Amino acid sequence: MSTAIRQWRGFKAATRLGWQISSNWTQPLVFVLYSVLRPLSAAFILVVMYRVISGGGANTAAYLAFLVSGVAFWSFVQYGFAGLSNGIAEDRGEYKMLKYVYTSPAHFYVYLLGRGLAQLASAVASALIVLIVATIALGLPINPLHINYPLLLAASSLALLAVIGLAMAFGVLLLQARDAHGYGELGSGVLYVISGAIFPISVLPGILATIASLSPLVYWMESIRRSLLGSQAIRMFPSLSDGDVLLRLLVTTAATLILAHLVFSWADRTARQKGLIDMETNW
Amino acid sequence: MDIAVETRALRRVYRSRNQEVVALDGVDLRVARGQRYGVLGPNGAGKTTMIKILVTLLLPSSGEARVDGLDVVHQFRELRHRIAMVSGGENVGFGMLKVKEQLWMFSQFYGMPSAPSKRRIGELLERLGLSEAADRRVSALSSGMRQKMNLIRGLITNPRILFLDEPTVALDVGAARDVRDEVRRWMAEDPTRTVILTTHYMMEADELCDRVAIVNRGRIVAEGTPAELKQRVQQNAIVDLQLSPGGRLLDALRAVEGVAAASVTEQDGLDRFSLQLSNDAALGGVMRVVEGSGRQIRGVQKREPTLEDAFVKLVGRGMAEEEQA
Amino acid sequence: MSHPSAMRIFLKTIVARAYPRFVAAYRNRAWLITETLLPLVGTIAMIYVYRALHAPARFLGFVVLGGVLLAFWQNVIWAMATQFFWDRGAGNLELFAMAPTSLAAILLGMALGGAYVSLTRAATILLVASVLFGVSYSLSGLLPALGVFVLTISALYCLGMLLASLFLFYQREAWQLADAMQEPIYFLSGFYFPVRSLGAVVGGVGSLIPLTLGLDAIRQLILPGTPQFIPLSVEVLAVVAQIIAYAALSQISLRYLERQARQDARLILRST
Ligand SMILES: Nc1ncnc2c1ncn2[C@@H]1O[C@H](COP(=O)(O)OP(=O)(O)O)[C@@H](O)[C@H]1O
Ligand SMILES: [Mg+2]
Repeated sequence: MSTAIRQWRGFKAATRLGWQISSNWTQPLVFVLYSVLRPLSAAFILVVMYRVISGGGANTAAYLAFLVSGVAFWSFVQYGFAGLSNGIAEDRGEYKMLKYVYTSPAHFYVYLLGRGLAQLASAVASALIVLIVATIALGLPINPLHINYPLLLAASSLALLAVIGLAMAFGVLLLQARDAHGYGELGSGVLYVISGAIFPISVLPGILATIASLSPLVYWMESIRRSLLGSQAIRMFPSLSDGDVLLRLLVTTAATLILAHLVFSWADRTARQKGLIDMETNW
Repeated sequence: MDIAVETRALRRVYRSRNQEVVALDGVDLRVARGQRYGVLGPNGAGKTTMIKILVTLLLPSSGEARVDGLDVVHQFRELRHRIAMVSGGENVGFGMLKVKEQLWMFSQFYGMPSAPSKRRIGELLERLGLSEAADRRVSALSSGMRQKMNLIRGLITNPRILFLDEPTVALDVGAARDVRDEVRRWMAEDPTRTVILTTHYMMEADELCDRVAIVNRGRIVAEGTPAELKQRVQQNAIVDLQLSPGGRLLDALRAVEGVAAASVTEQDGLDRFSLQLSNDAALGGVMRVVEGSGRQIRGVQKREPTLEDAFVKLVGRGMAEEEQA
Repeated sequence: MSHPSAMRIFLKTIVARAYPRFVAAYRNRAWLITETLLPLVGTIAMIYVYRALHAPARFLGFVVLGGVLLAFWQNVIWAMATQFFWDRGAGNLELFAMAPTSLAAILLGMALGGAYVSLTRAATILLVASVLFGVSYSLSGLLPALGVFVLTISALYCLGMLLASLFLFYQREAWQLADAMQEPIYFLSGFYFPVRSLGAVVGGVGSLIPLTLGLDAIRQLILPGTPQFIPLSVEVLAVVAQIIAYAALSQISLRYLERQARQDARLILRST
């Protein structure tokens, strides 16, 4: 059997596994609760927060759109990052899977990619529904005919690569911990703060703002808002053109992937050396 | 006779989406106080279901059960003070606790004062050779040690009646022996204690139990002392035939004139056929069938009957065969 | 036959069931890091939202106090209400159930054991976030606020017991539901904004969760300028009523559902 076919089989198996694990709640009701009600509530929390402070000022629609788009697209990071990095630890602990995955012919990368992709489907559905519901309910200035789809797609593809890269590196790093419970969420929580998802990064204190400006996710968020809202978008980088933002996204993504690869290789090597792959985490 | 456990027409049906499983189908059981009572049967016979009903975790679908004179359905609160259960292969408790901490924790659910509880735990750990492991984390125990710890959990609170559900399943020979020895010792300490133990190891039932009920498919098919049960096959000669592997042979052997019952188990890559012959002449017919099958004979022994033979005679098939059915 | 009194068993059970939680928190201190940092990060994110809007300082206080109570809500949901699901899987539930103790005591023990982690978490949020963002509180309201806090937590634990009995019954589905309901609950309880902003109807529904009114009362007491949802005294009375109602309901439902679980084989772990 050729390597390519074996890799493909591993990839398919991993995608299926990821799907089964993340959607063992196959009932539509639970999916709705999980992928719609959660992010929608998160968005409405922000909406209320904005209204309490700013009432119905002139900028309201644009600001609400800023918040809602951030929350809606954040589900990619939540599913992708927390889901994937936790997935690695889960596979070790709960599903006692990891040792089989490691010894299977498909390269571990391929396996992880497959799992990540399975999460993606849920994320897309969730983001879409939240955007549509919020746009209608709040009268956001989003018009599906005027969306800059090329920008949206290009930026999102790049960001997705970055997220998966980060998640893989982080997930394998987590194998070093005896009990990695909650670290995936913690990681995505930190990203949340420094990615301009629900507030412009300019409110962050100096060092954090600088770190944030190195995160590809900030430029992704900026691109999303520009593509959805055009000139109505509240901009975190008013001096940059759309192309400049995309370029920065490209550069930071490339840097992230290189960094992720280095971390991944190192952590993967130590994990094997120390026998962390099939460690019993029962406690 | 002082009765420790009694059931009448006990029945339990499990209902899931679109099927019903009759796990117990009219069980009448009487266990005298002071006995080590065995419930022997293949996997799926209903042993665990019976135990779970007797320890108040499961309601019967119909019928009655009394333990220590108390009705398991209605007087369960009082009953829970007087019983304990340990199951084989259980993985209960909290892995990051030390062995002695975990045992103490469970004793507290019975309201045991801490000092006597700790003393008793110390004694029992000592008796089972686990003193060294007292400060080890539960998650670090071997399966043998873990099962001994579980047994201790059942003993600390000094139950009137102890239920053991396959207590030695999957244990190595040494650990299984230690568990059985402790059961004997514990019973010897106080003649009013009672143990009910389920197993699918006939040796265990034979060696450890005063009386045995053989169960299959939710029914008791025979009951008595191990000697009485083996007596039932005494009139037959028991012959073991070791044959090289091959096609299906059991039905042909059963059809031979003078073969009262037959079963097969796999052993060291060979098929061991156990035959119960009502007359010695039957052996000739058996040999002809074997030759016709093209299998090679690797050994022939005549031996004393076991409880397994009793099971085969009563049910018509071996325990392993029943499990696959 | 004489055996220990029900009260004695109840109290001993609480202590014994809390013990592994303490030990877990102590022996696995790394765990404490995520347990405290994660909610802290969430709180900080919300504080920055208000910062970006140039909100008055008391709004940062709203978020901090919300984060504090959130820590206890999570304890109740994850360390108590959903716990039977895991315990059943490990085979612990049947041993708890067949002991002559009560499941209520087991649940309270879990919650108490988990409260140690929650307290650490809540204290961290309160201290770090308040210092970092310069939130100040009115000291005169501190003592009554502490009293309301204790009442609120009590009501919360009673609700937790009620949920636990439901979860025992619905098992996996209930667990998923609890997971999915996190943000909706944060919304309804007004963790991040004054409860008044929810309006009468939504706020009224949210008030079924004891946190909503308790949180509002605490805010009114130590953050002057909190928009009043309903008068303080009514809120306190309502929380007390919730303690009684949820305690009674949870006892009824625990008994009923335990019997139901014995019938439907939900206490036992299927081995074959
Ligand atoms: N919770 C359950 N739900 C449905 N069927 C069950 C359940 N528990 C046991 N059974 C079925 O009941 C029968 C008896 O099982 P059990 O009492 O566990 O037998 P044993 O302990 O002798 O192996 C088996 O057919 C088993 O599959
Ligand atoms: Mg069994």
